Amino acid sequence: MTWQTFVFLPIALGAFGYSFYRFQLLFQMMKAHRGNSNRLDNIPARIMTTIVNVLGQRAVLENKGPGIMHTAIFWGFIIITTGTLEQFVSTIYQGATFEFMGQSLYSGWLFLQDLATLAVLLGVFYASYRRYVVRPVALGKSKDANIVLLFTGSLMVAIFLMNSFHIAGTHPWYANSLFVSQWLATRLGGLASEPTNAALGTFFKWVHMLIVLGFAVYIPRSKHLHLVAAGPNTFLKTLPREKGMTPINFEDESVQQYGAAKVTDLSWKDALDYYSCTECGRCQDLCPAFNTQKPLTPKMLITDLKHNLYANKDKILAGKLDEVSHIIDQNVNEDVIWACTSCRACEIACPVFIEHTDKIYDIRRNLVMMESRFPPEVQPVFKNMETNGSPWAFSSADRAKWAEGLSVKTMAEDSNVEVLLWVGCAGSYDERNKKVLRAFASILKKAEVKFSILGSEEQCTGDPARRIGNEYLFQTLAKANIETMNRYSVKRVVTACPHCYNTIKNEYKNFGGNYEVYHHSEFMAKLIAEGKLKPTKSLDATITFHDSCYLGRWNNIYADPRKVITSIPSARLVEMTQHHDQSLCCGAGGGRMWMEEKIGKRINVARTEQALETNAEIVASSCPFCITMMTDGITTKEMKDKVKVMDIAELLDQTTT
Amino acid sequence: MNIYVCIKQVPDTETKIKLNSDSTGIDPAGIKWVMSPFDEIAVEESLRVKEKNAGSTLTVISAGPARATESIRTALAMGADNGIHIELPENVDNNTIAKALAGALKKEAHFDLIFTGKEAIDDGSAQVSQILGEFLDIPSITVAVAIEYGAGTVKCKREIEGGSFEIIEAALPVIIAGQKGLNDPRYASLPNIMKAKKKEIKALKAADVGVSDADQKIRFKNYQLPPPKQAGKKLTGDPAAQAKELVRMLHEEAKVI
Repeated sequence: MTWQTFVFLPIALGAFGYSFYRFQLLFQMMKAHRGNSNRLDNIPARIMTTIVNVLGQRAVLENKGPGIMHTAIFWGFIIITTGTLEQFVSTIYQGATFEFMGQSLYSGWLFLQDLATLAVLLGVFYASYRRYVVRPVALGKSKDANIVLLFTGSLMVAIFLMNSFHIAGTHPWYANSLFVSQWLATRLGGLASEPTNAALGTFFKWVHMLIVLGFAVYIPRSKHLHLVAAGPNTFLKTLPREKGMTPINFEDESVQQYGAAKVTDLSWKDALDYYSCTECGRCQDLCPAFNTQKPLTPKMLITDLKHNLYANKDKILAGKLDEVSHIIDQNVNEDVIWACTSCRACEIACPVFIEHTDKIYDIRRNLVMMESRFPPEVQPVFKNMETNGSPWAFSSADRAKWAEGLSVKTMAEDSNVEVLLWVGCAGSYDERNKKVLRAFASILKKAEVKFSILGSEEQCTGDPARRIGNEYLFQTLAKANIETMNRYSVKRVVTACPHCYNTIKNEYKNFGGNYEVYHHSEFMAKLIAEGKLKPTKSLDATITFHDSCYLGRWNNIYADPRKVITSIPSARLVEMTQHHDQSLCCGAGGGRMWMEEKIGKRINVARTEQALETNAEIVASSCPFCITMMTDGITTKEMKDKVKVMDIAELLDQTTT
Repeated sequence: MNIYVCIKQVPDTETKIKLNSDSTGIDPAGIKWVMSPFDEIAVEESLRVKEKNAGSTLTVISAGPARATESIRTALAMGADNGIHIELPENVDNNTIAKALAGALKKEAHFDLIFTGKEAIDDGSAQVSQILGEFLDIPSITVAVAIEYGAGTVKCKREIEGGSFEIIEAALPVIIAGQKGLNDPRYASLPNIMKAKKKEIKALKAADVGVSDADQKIRFKNYQLPPPKQAGKKLTGDPAAQAKELVRMLHEEAKVI
């Protein structure tokens, strides 16, 4: 033991102790959240996703350049940390090294140390180039990032200098393994005497160690908290792509607060989400609201919620949850919350699996159910759903009118059928979408599929109410529909609406509705594959396909609708700049269909412009709302005479006999 | 302040009205019942007065069949304190309803303000608020689009014919019938919906409020549906010919000029 031991130990213990204390506060704050989140199902799958995405960096590598940079820094740091450990040990106990592992292993390990240091340094150069020269919008300005880059860069330089002067001063046997440091030593070594070089080596070792300890102190309060949080967050992510919203138990009278008025009304997992956020901005890059100048950016929402949590730290730790300030403030204002189309592009993009939409829904639930605060145009929508079971003001008696003359039977007339055709409100009442339903009914008849509809017994699935935040209304409608379907012992359901599809398939099971649910694109692709339908008439046209968010990002269905298009003779499918899971929303999801779009560019126009760029003559989709939004977009762009918006069912109906 | 609001349950505007087999009334099957939209305006106005005057009580009253209690619950969910339901059969006339409401109100300790909608959207007769004024012998102001509340007085801006307005001032107690534009009715919050489920609704019978079949001044003998709407006609040709044809049609077919 030397003076170094006695200087180092108190500093290290202080730094790590403080760091631990901060982490423990963060953990306490997480635990104080009121909302529940059970995430310990299917442990093997969780371990697998953690291996693939943390060790394998798969999600990070979705974005090539920064992905490789991050992987270099991530693995570089893991390797360097073992080196740092050796320095800590040798400082505490003079001269103790990891040489006990044997010469060949030790030199290999040292080689890795230098390689990792070089990789991290290059990573830092690339990151700095990107942040200060390229300056992508997604990154924005960040003091945190500046500090971290400076820290990391200095740390690597200190390692190289430490090793170089050490080599120049002591000429160790393993000098050649540290190939970068050795190269540097030949250039720096001659500048001073050997003892001076050795002393400089020790000096930079201390610089290195102090920077590491500084890091330990700094991490818990910076965006670099992701170093610790992102791993667990990956392990605890929602596993399936098809996720339903969490139901509220209205029978439980002990629940007084519905939705989230305060950060602490959210769940501990939401806090872990903020801790995991690295502010990379990939969510923002894909966000339809942000890209059309709405005040919502998913990245800022997460950091604002984090700041709100931190601002309320003392009250939360003192257990005074009543005094915690509200979420809705200058930053997270109502325009931010209502701008979300629930397209889930942010969640697809996030490399650390933050779930942005759930937070927005919970905040909406509080605004709608507790405070009756929502855009005024939504009130008649709720009222219509309450009285007529449809967001639009139409009588339920008219629900089956779309099928007039098609001899379509209702379940009341004949429930002994292969499949229930769930029509949905758009298919029932919207003039444009009635035609889609007529085309799909015609296809089912051609393929000799025996089906019935519910007619006036069908009600809105409740999706718009649920996404807007009216869980109570949603559950009323859901329970009524499930009661009706179960009364007819419905087993299989097919629908042309991705919103109905998602709700009946993924959300009704929480309320006793278990059905085999097909979207019409899946159903048609299946009929074609089974040879029950074969498009024989050719359609000599270029067709671009617009992905519906609730089909694609919510349910991972990208291939089936495209299969329907490519099965048509002569039809040419072209993709827009954004497609599949990178697709741009039409602007109608999340209840936005029924809200006015007053801020920024209209989302449907932005998407229509992408469709027009392809020079396709037909914009195909497989969602009634997308069809409405894209048709409006084409009309706005005055291209109505040149470009048609069609559902894939219409294309298939036209080309089959 | 003791505030009362009188409401009526009516078929929803989107309901397809069908007549019963002998055309003596409408067929109740499949009808979605809602609070008359003008009555929602009245409830909203009464809630705003209640909220501005601490210690006020707001009671919602409806006279009609048992189903009317659903609309009373809706008003309670919006924020009314108490409910009174006077059970009357279907198809009673305005006089019977007004007398029943007056009977119930006279049983109360005292009333300062009584709100109604300007009319119920089912029969659209717009009479109850005025007949009620007669029975209670207090002023009744109809078609109010703005109300200023003074000390023991109200100043109402009401719509009159020809797109004009008149201002009427009255001393309390007074009946005010609200018109569209007076306010935007609120959407009940969930805690209030839950609370409303537990609130008690006072149940009164016709006899309790001094109403009998003899009060029925109008009896409905036969109902008919309006003729189905004709499809629109599009005039073609040069503008002069179109104008000429339009004048001819307005004169000979529509008989409006």
